[in-house]
Parts: sequence; structure tokens; C-alpha cells
Amino acid sequence: MKHAPAALPSSDRDVSGIEIAAGLRYTEVIVDWLTPPPIIDAAFARMEPVHHDRLLHFDTETTGLAGGTGTRAFMIGAADWIDGRFRIRQLTITSMAAETAMLRTFAGWLDHDTVLVSYNGKCYDAPLLATRYRLARLPNPLLGLGHLDLLHPVRRHWKHQWENCRLATAERQLLGVVREDDLPGAEAPAAWLTYLRGGSARNLRRVAQHNAQDLKSLAGVLVHMAMMEGELVTSVTATQ
Amino acid sequence: MNALPDRYATDELVLRDPGDGRSLAQRLSKRYAARITGAFVVPGRDGSYAPLPDDLPPALAQALRSRGIDQLYSHQAEAWKATQAGAHVAIVTPTASGKSLCYTLPVITAAMTNHAKALYLFPTKALAQDQVAELLELNQAGALGVKAFTFDGDTPGDARQAIRLHGDIVVSNPDMLHQAILPHHTKWAQFFENLRYVVIDEVHTYRGVFGSHVANVIRRLKRVCAFYGVTPQFILCSATIGNPQEHAEALIEDAVTAVTESGAPTGDKHVLLWNPPVVNPDLGLRASARSQTNRIARLAIKSGMKTLVFAQSRTMVEVLTKYLKDVFDHDPRKPPRIRAYRGGYLPKERRAAEREMRAGTIDGIVSTSALELGVDIGSLDVVVLNGYPGSVAGTWQRFGRAGRRQQSSLGVLVASSDPLDQYLVRHPEFFQGATPEHARIQPDQPLILLDHIRCAAFELPFIGDEMFGTEVATPWLDLLGEEGVMHREGDRWEWIADSYPAIAVSLRSVADGNFVVVDRTNGRQTIIAEVDYSAAAVTLYEGAIHMIQSTPYQVERLDWEGRKAYVTRTTVDYYTDAIDYTKLKVLDCFDSSHAGCGHAHHGEVHVVRRVPGYKKIRFYSHENIGYGPVNLPDQELHTTAVWWQLPQAVLESAFEQRQQALDGFLGAANALHLVATVAVMAEARDLQKSVGSGDGAWFVSADISGRGQLRGSDGQPTALAADAPFTPTVYLYDAFPGGIGHSEPLFQRREDLIAQSVSLIERCDCRAGCPACVGPILAADEQAGDNVADTTPKALALRVLALLVAL
Repeated sequence: MKHAPAALPSSDRDVSGIEIAAGLRYTEVIVDWLTPPPIIDAAFARMEPVHHDRLLHFDTETTGLAGGTGTRAFMIGAADWIDGRFRIRQLTITSMAAETAMLRTFAGWLDHDTVLVSYNGKCYDAPLLATRYRLARLPNPLLGLGHLDLLHPVRRHWKHQWENCRLATAERQLLGVVREDDLPGAEAPAAWLTYLRGGSARNLRRVAQHNAQDLKSLAGVLVHMAMMEGELVTSVTATQ
Repeated sequence: MNALPDRYATDELVLRDPGDGRSLAQRLSKRYAARITGAFVVPGRDGSYAPLPDDLPPALAQALRSRGIDQLYSHQAEAWKATQAGAHVAIVTPTASGKSLCYTLPVITAAMTNHAKALYLFPTKALAQDQVAELLELNQAGALGVKAFTFDGDTPGDARQAIRLHGDIVVSNPDMLHQAILPHHTKWAQFFENLRYVVIDEVHTYRGVFGSHVANVIRRLKRVCAFYGVTPQFILCSATIGNPQEHAEALIEDAVTAVTESGAPTGDKHVLLWNPPVVNPDLGLRASARSQTNRIARLAIKSGMKTLVFAQSRTMVEVLTKYLKDVFDHDPRKPPRIRAYRGGYLPKERRAAEREMRAGTIDGIVSTSALELGVDIGSLDVVVLNGYPGSVAGTWQRFGRAGRRQQSSLGVLVASSDPLDQYLVRHPEFFQGATPEHARIQPDQPLILLDHIRCAAFELPFIGDEMFGTEVATPWLDLLGEEGVMHREGDRWEWIADSYPAIAVSLRSVADGNFVVVDRTNGRQTIIAEVDYSAAAVTLYEGAIHMIQSTPYQVERLDWEGRKAYVTRTTVDYYTDAIDYTKLKVLDCFDSSHAGCGHAHHGEVHVVRRVPGYKKIRFYSHENIGYGPVNLPDQELHTTAVWWQLPQAVLESAFEQRQQALDGFLGAANALHLVATVAVMAEARDLQKSVGSGDGAWFVSADISGRGQLRGSDGQPTALAADAPFTPTVYLYDAFPGGIGHSEPLFQRREDLIAQSVSLIERCDCRAGCPACVGPILAADEQAGDNVADTTPKALALRVLALLVAL
């Protein structure tokens, strides 16, 4: 029988944010980040143009990649433009029981005309959340919403030019973002488990930073591609 | 082997008029009386019918009529009534009795009237596909609008979503349910919310280790159903075994209504048990089953009878097909009369073979078990089994393939030289009276249970004192908590690990996985065989000569961890024989009783299996020409066993020498093992035998002459001091950690087992002993004069057994 690595009891138990329900932490920051055009041209993703007010960028941090009913999200980050500024909201659960409250809160952030923006969210985050809503016996609020998954357009454009099409590569190539002290995504599950078992919250805070940066990059890649597509269309029109 | 005179002889037997089963059976019995060890007739019967039920939806009744079904057999009507009354139902009727209609009617009715869904589980993919084809035909006939799909490993990803959402009937197998459906049950939410029926066919195949796993998958299915607020009705089908209802109830852990009287009409069924003739009386060698099967099939086809031959392996299918084609298909301008049918063929080829059989253009078909059930190939006259299929139930299922309503059919079982075949073919009563087979499962076997609690926890959290099957799950969850895969919060246990436990749990293999044999001759890298974990240590050690289809390969390297053996072709004049020690020690005795002058026990044992070396033995002369060391880890396990012992005083008065008593115990162990394998429907690898002292101080293995060699706890040959205690013991143990539930029923049937072992040895044709009764012996023993008749291995084994016969 294998044994779990025992989490060392730690005095560093400080998870960022305020507790808005038992075991559910909420953070909100508003930053200046990009100046998106009012109408985002989503032709690059074969979608109708959409006003940037309707966009909600989202990204989950999960207990693993195994898939199926045994994998859960312990953090949901979502970001949108409010009056031209970029609002980043994050939900983190510090107990299993708080999952339902987290799912309900996130559902409240979605409107019938919200367009989701993600990186591989169609294949990963959205089905995972669908499973969690089902297990919590809640309606799935993502069902039927527009969803701009940037992974596929990025692959179409740069598959042959970049070593891979991960978000970290896209943000470096397109936005010049270089992360410092970034917690690799693969270490996120352990960071949360350590905290859950009474260990240090340090890495869990780093997961939140990582998640926030993912959201900013998501918006960055989106704007970049929308503008680029515009130029492309313009130049094609010009030559004609 | 087809020498001319022999061919002439068979051709003489060809029936001039199109024959039937009876006339062919008679001719064969007359000509080959010496080879036939049993001949009997299962009398045909008239059909018993019932009208189509009034409460059937009119469109479905119409569809049935358009397919020529104007009335039901009585068992179909009985099953309908029971399902409509809400009962779980087990249907136990012969092959080709229209079993599938028993579940098709309630399932389609529920789909049409309530949009209810059904899940079908078949043990194999081929059966599932045939079932769907049949459903689609019925659906088309009546434009019923019921959608049926297979869902298995071959189902493409883009089709899966549609099946989950729109399938009224999803046809799958237990492995898919275990690994793909239950761990993703939320994707199947709509399906589960409307699930009304779970149909499980071939439940007699779910026994032993496999069956114990499947019972736990059913527990998980029920648990997921409860989450969606449904309690589906189970409809189970089984071949004829000794305990169908009990077995069905054990699988679903609920009461079932059994339907056992078939109303389908049949003609007389003639059955012949056929033992190939002895060709070398000195060594007790018999002609091959293959040659006999070939001969019988040829004769049947020449007599104008549609014939199906079952072979045990794909290779044998090809060989027998070639032999028959050489006779019947030598003119390439004519359409073929002989066809092979087996797994590994494309579905298109298989469908074509089925069509041609139904159309009657094919006269002979050679198949693996793929054709055992379900698949519709029209009516047949003769079924020949090349070797015993491993169970009496399986034998009847295959025989059931032959039979027309008005005409008699014939089934022939041709025994191979395998001891189990030889045992069965000499006991016609196994096929006549009540079947000796009882399917057993042990769903609470700790290792299996833990595996499935792990999978269940992944699927849904455990809450409070939730039960899993018959046990409270909490202690198991604590264990998984220590392992770090679960997290407890309040009274909830949640899965927390980044893993997908169902992937690591295989329903079909014992814990440790198979070894593959890789041929590296001339730089090749080809997998040429697979070997069970339990057999690997005695057949794949470095230096072993491993025979595949009588071609010798030498093992060059054994990668124990990687489960691979690398071999090359070789030409040597010897074979190798592992020196294999099994040492048992009794840890706990659950139950004891008198057995003649001794005792029988049932309890927990510690088994150590070691292979310290091997012998090189020259072909034909059987000289021992060398020895090689083997360096493999000991295999240890705690398991359950049943064992018999005789007191020292009894043995000393019954045997002049201790050696004789040891030989007797070895022979008795061989016979008991054979008899027990049949009694509990065990897979050969799941039940093992051993002879040793009661305390693990010494044990006995057969030496090269077939006589018992006493060995000490280090495995070296040894002798007992004259005053040392002497209590030889014969053990039958479950070869699965923790036991798999065979030993308890064996203990219950202990008197029967001893009696059957006595009769097995007494009725064996051999003189002094042979592999079919007491195990292999030396030719010298075989030829010994009458003056030693009471000390042959056979006589000694009988002497031991006589002392254990109930007083």
C-alpha cells in the first residue's frame, strides 16, 4: 500500500481574498490591460463580431488531467472589460463542501449573451465544469453560450512556426510576456492538496497568480488575433 | 494421416440419401464403436406456444408478424409477464430457443411507450454487434423508431456523443461499462435518468475472478443509477448450469424470477462422445483430435448435412478449414462450400459467411467460439467439437447450434489428449443428468472489492455509512485515505488523486498481467505467444525450451518486470522441465470434518512457489541430460484452500513404505484437481494443487519418473528421519491472492469429490496410471508385471482415496 506524502502542518495558511461563503474565497482586481476595440472581429475563429462587453475570459485550475467524474476544479478565474478596464475575479475553495457555492457564484457571472473566451476550454474546462454542475445537481450555465476557444485558431496560424502552441508560447511570441516565478501548471493540484491537508498556502497563492496571468494573456492573444485578422482583411481588400 | 485405406473406409459410411442426425449417429456408432465413450439422445419436443400478449404495442406486434412471428414460445410469454410485473428475470433456456426476444419485447415496448432506455451487456464485441443488427431489422420491419447502437472500444469518438444522447438501446460489454461509461457517467446523464432495463446475457461466463469483478461493476452501476433516481430492472440470460438462479441473484444481489422451461420445438438431438483411438499403447498416446474431427466433418458434409466445426484456437480453425477445403473446394471454378469464421476477420467477411450459411450455399463452417451464440446462420445438422470447450454448459451451447424442428441433429465431442478432455469424455453422465457445474463468484474478495471501491469513489463521493454491496465502505475508504487518493471532509469521502482508477483495473486478468513471448530470430521482433502470469515462472525462465506449435524456441532473456520473454528458434534434441516447488503452510482452519479415516479441512494458507532450476530431458529416451539454475523471485500468496490429511498410524498400517504413501497422495491430488476443476467451473489457472506436510516442513513434487520426491523447505531433495512425524496432505488452493471462493464450495462437496476421484481412476483405461487420472508415469511402470499391480501409481492413489472415502 502506498502512503500519501504527509503535508507538513504550516502556519502559512493565508489564502488571498475574502470569504464570501463557507470555504469559498473571492478576489477581484481591476487593472489597465490593453485597449480592446469596441467590436472584436472574431472572424479568425469563424464567429460573428462581438462587443467586448460581452466577453468573459475564463480558466480553471483542477486536481488533475485524468478527466472523468473524479477530477474537480478548485479555482475558477474569469476576466472581463468593465468601462475599458480589465477586471479579474477569482474563486478558490478551501474545502470540498464549498464547491457548490463556487459553482453557483460562477453561474451568476454568466448572462444569456455572454461569449466565453478560453484556451482549450471547449475540450477541457467546459466539459469539466459541466460534469461538476451535474454532480452538484445544478443546471449547467455554460450550455448554449458562445465560446471562443483560442487554441484552435492559434494552431491554424502558427503550428508550423512555433515549437508548440501552448498559451505560454503564444503570450511570449505575440505579447512578449515573460513570466517570473511562475508555478508550472502541473504543480497546481499538489499546491491545493497541500493546503487542503493543512500545509502551506504559499504555492496556492502562486497558482492564483498563474491563473490571473493566464487570463490576461488570453485577452492579449484574442485582441492580437482580432486586430491581425482585421489587417489581413484590409490588405486583401486593398489588393482587390 | 489420411492414408488411402482409411479414406476408403470413411467414404463407405457416406449416406446416400440426404442424411439426418440419427442415421449418421447410428453409422458412426456401428463403425467406430470402440471410439465412442458415450452415445445418447436428447429427445425432441413439440413447441409450447402462447399468443402475442395483448399489452404489446400494436406497432411492435405488427413488426413481429411481418417477420413471421405470430405467436410466442411459452418461455417468452412467461418472461414478458414477469418483466411487466416488475421482477428481475433470469432466462435459462437452450441456444436457439429465441432467448433474445425475451428481453427485446419489454425493452422495445418501454422505449416506444415511455422513451425508456436499456443497456445491454454482452461478454464479447461480436455478440453485441449481432444483437444490434437483429434489433435494427425488427425496428425497420415496423418503423418503430427505436435506436440501437453498439458502444465499444471501436466506436469512433464523434459517434459517442450521439449514442449517449440518442441511443434507446446501448449495447456494450462489462469492460466498457467499467472503464468508459461509469467513470464518465455525467456525460450519460440523460441515458441514466431514463434507464429502465439492464440486460446481461451469458451470465454463466461471469464466474470466478472475472465474475467477481463484474458483480462489483454491477454494484457501481446500481450506485450511479441511484444518483440519477432510477432502479432499473435486470434481465439476465444464462446457459444451463447447476445454479442459474442462485448465480444471477449473486451477480445483481437481488431476487430474480427464473424462467427455465423452454417452449421452443426441437427435433431429437443425438450426442456422441468420441475418444480418438490409442495409437501407441505403451505410452498411452492417442490419435489427434484434429484427425478425428476432420474425418467426422468430412463424412457429415459428404452425407449432405450442414456441418459446423468448433476449434479452440484460431490456428486450429485455419488448419481444419484447409483440410476440408482440400476435399471439397479443390475446383476453383465452383463457389466455395467450406468457410472459416473467427475473430480477427473483418466484420464484412463475417457477415458474408453468415449470409452464405443462411442461404445454404455453404456446407461446412469452421469456427472459434465466435459462433457459439446469437449469430444467425440458419439451421444446421451436425456440430463437431474439436476438443472440450472447458465447460459442460459451453458444450451444450455449441451443440445447440445444430437442430431443426422436424429433423434429428447430431453433436460430436472429440476429446483431445488434455487430461480434462479425457476425464469428461469418459463421463457421459455429466452430459445427461443434472449438470455438475456451479458458477461461483466472490464479490467481496478483498483485493477485487478494494479495486472497485476505488473506482466507485472516483464516480461519486461516499457519504456517511454508505454500503458497497454487503459491506460498509468506511474501513476501505480509510485505507484509500491513507494512500492519499481520497480526502475526508465531515462525513463525505471524495476522490482527490490525479488518476483514473478504472484504467488500472482489468476485469479479465488476474492481478499480475500476462507475459508476451517475443521472437528475435534473425533480428525479428515478433510477438508469437502470450503466457499467463502463473505459468510464466515454469515455462519462460532463461534457458527454457518453449514449444509453440511443436516448434522449439529457447528463452534467451526474461524481463520479469516488463513481462516479456525474448526467444529465438532453435534445434535441440531436448526439452526442459522446470523444477517447481509449491510449499504450503496452514495459517487458519475455518472448518473441519471427518473424511474416512482422516480429516478434510478448509481454511487459509500461505503458498510459496519457487523455481530453483530446470532439467534438460532428451526427447524419446527421456534421459536427464543436464540441469540449469533459475533465478526468479519467489511467488508468495495468502489464499484459501481445502485439504485432506490421514493420520500417521493409518498410513503406517496401510503402506509398507512411506514412499508409497507419497506416490499415492500425488496421484490422488491429480485426480482431485481434475474433478474439482469441473465442479467449480474453475479456469485451470485459478485452482491449483499441491502435496506436502501439514506444517510446511516438507513437500512432494513428482520426479522424472512420476514418483513422489520429498523435498525440504529449501527445495532440496531430502529424506525424513524414521521417527519424524509423517502427515502427508493434499491441498487444492485458489491461485489468487485472498482466494476467489472456490475452496468453500469444494469443502461442501468434499465427499462427492473423493468419490468422483475414485471412480475417475478406477474407470481409466490405463493400466498403471496416466495423465488423465493420476498424472504422467514412467513407461516402465506401465509395463510392470502383475506382481506389482498393487503398487502402481494408480493403485497407490486409489489406496489413499479409499482411506478418505466417507465411512
